[in-house]
Amino acid sequence: MSSFAVKNVNQIFGTGTAKVHVLHDVNFEAESGTLSLIMGPSGSGKTTLLTIVGGLLTPTSGTVTVNGVDYNHQSKRQRNALRLDEIGFVLQQYHLLPYLTVADQFTLVDKVKPKGNLPRAQLDEVLQALGIQGLLHKYPGELSSGQQQRVAIARALYPNPTIILADEPTAALDSPRVKVVGELFKNLATKHNKAVVIVTHDSRLMAFADQLYEIRDGVLSKQELNHN
Amino acid sequence: MFLALKEIKKEKFRSWLIIIMIVLISYLIFILTSLAIGLARENTDAINSWGVEKITLSSTANVDMRQSLLTKKQAGTLTKNEAYLGETPVVAEAKGHKQQSAFFVGLKANQFIAKNIKLDSGHWVKHSHEVVADDSFKLKGYQLGDKFKLADDKTKFTIVGFTKNAKLNVTPVLYGQLGTWRTLRGIAMGPITSVVASKNSRYESNQSGTKTYTRQQIINKLPGYQAQILTFVLMISFLMIISLIIIAVFLYILTMQKLPNYAVLRAQGIPSRVLVSATISQSLILVASGLVIGTILTVITGFVIPAQVPMAFDIPMLAAVGLGILIMALVGSLIPVRTVLKVDPVSVIGG
Repeated sequence: MSSFAVKNVNQIFGTGTAKVHVLHDVNFEAESGTLSLIMGPSGSGKTTLLTIVGGLLTPTSGTVTVNGVDYNHQSKRQRNALRLDEIGFVLQQYHLLPYLTVADQFTLVDKVKPKGNLPRAQLDEVLQALGIQGLLHKYPGELSSGQQQRVAIARALYPNPTIILADEPTAALDSPRVKVVGELFKNLATKHNKAVVIVTHDSRLMAFADQLYEIRDGVLSKQELNHN
Repeated sequence: MFLALKEIKKEKFRSWLIIIMIVLISYLIFILTSLAIGLARENTDAINSWGVEKITLSSTANVDMRQSLLTKKQAGTLTKNEAYLGETPVVAEAKGHKQQSAFFVGLKANQFIAKNIKLDSGHWVKHSHEVVADDSFKLKGYQLGDKFKLADDKTKFTIVGFTKNAKLNVTPVLYGQLGTWRTLRGIAMGPITSVVASKNSRYESNQSGTKTYTRQQIINKLPGYQAQILTFVLMISFLMIISLIIIAVFLYILTMQKLPNYAVLRAQGIPSRVLVSATISQSLILVASGLVIGTILTVITGFVIPAQVPMAFDIPMLAAVGLGILIMALVGSLIPVRTVLKVDPVSVIGG
């Protein structure tokens, strides 16, 4: 069963001479239990694709279906609710609220979405895997950049989404941490049956991918994976 | 509320800066309001204590009781709802005391105004050279039985009673007999009173050379009264607007700093109402805290301020002013709220 599907999506920004065709007839499916990697150079359209899949941007044409729900038939508020329940965003610019401790970052999610979040034991596993279990009472300002990014990852996973969209999640991490994060995402896909899509430049993550896509000038194409 | 409390707890210094601003503003507004009310009362206390609704003056008096003189014919026939009242400025002079300006108000003991005046101590005047004095004479060291001279009158006047709230145009009043007023004004023939006051709100004099005014019209024409009130109203209004601007500017700056964080939260599906309510709650908590401290300071000031300072702490009025400041805070927080509602989650995606 596919978790989400992107069909014939085109995205055009601007009009007349300023018109830019960012995505060309993109078709893409991400199934539960798989980790898909979308790689491409800057300006290729991968971030635009991510915002469309996340329901933050309505494509010029085409459809996006998340767990059978077509975004085109949803109001902005419904999309927000869907994003909160079903989609976990891990962003390159993690911007943790500076006045919330790490523990409070999770409490905020509880306040907005009291049910369906990760049980305490599972959250502890995530925190342990990310090496941030001892940082619960620290404020973001007291953490290193890498620690903040791992907290942002944990926060995105806490609402227990079925789909995880990650934008350069390993940008601030060293190689050992990349391995840990890669394994964490892989586990989320395989053990917790989530559809994980990572947009990245980081080729170190290819080792964990089930599907590899390349995007160039707005054209998405599937690539062969070589795990050797 | 959760986000607002957490931010205030973490950003203590910044929060205290805003609270201190609000404390200073609210304290200033409370003190100015109390002064405005105090001064307004000291202008009008006596008139309000008489229980009059309409006042007839000579038409040439420019709505000023001191300038008015009415003859018996102009005063007309009085019912039990009307009373004579003669008013004239005097200076009280006694050994061991500084000169004290006052208004001598002559009344008839059997008419309603004299009956409406409540004495704090002593008794109502029985003889021509007796007076009931405003309480402020006590603060100047006068006691029951003390004597002083008024104007050029050779015979000394004796204080036989004290009454509260007997101030007219911020000047203490000395109540005495109507005949004494005539003597002090040097009127032997002709006018019998300054004004005819009525407790009947529909009373109108139809005598020629007279004009009838409402109590408020008379108050509004008291020398300097309108200028004082308007000055205070303007100062209080400006302070209200300043408090609005301070709240709006502080919250706007704080919100602008948080916009990238809010954008991430919006991208993650956190509803904008959570962020809006955090901004509004933060504004209300900070302002309410400032108001509480400002109120405490005002109460302390009320206890330590000298009695001569014309301050009156009218709780419903101060509560209304406090509510006004809270409403201003709410309005001030709407400006950053607009920015929060417009935050674009897409702005934080991609590098």
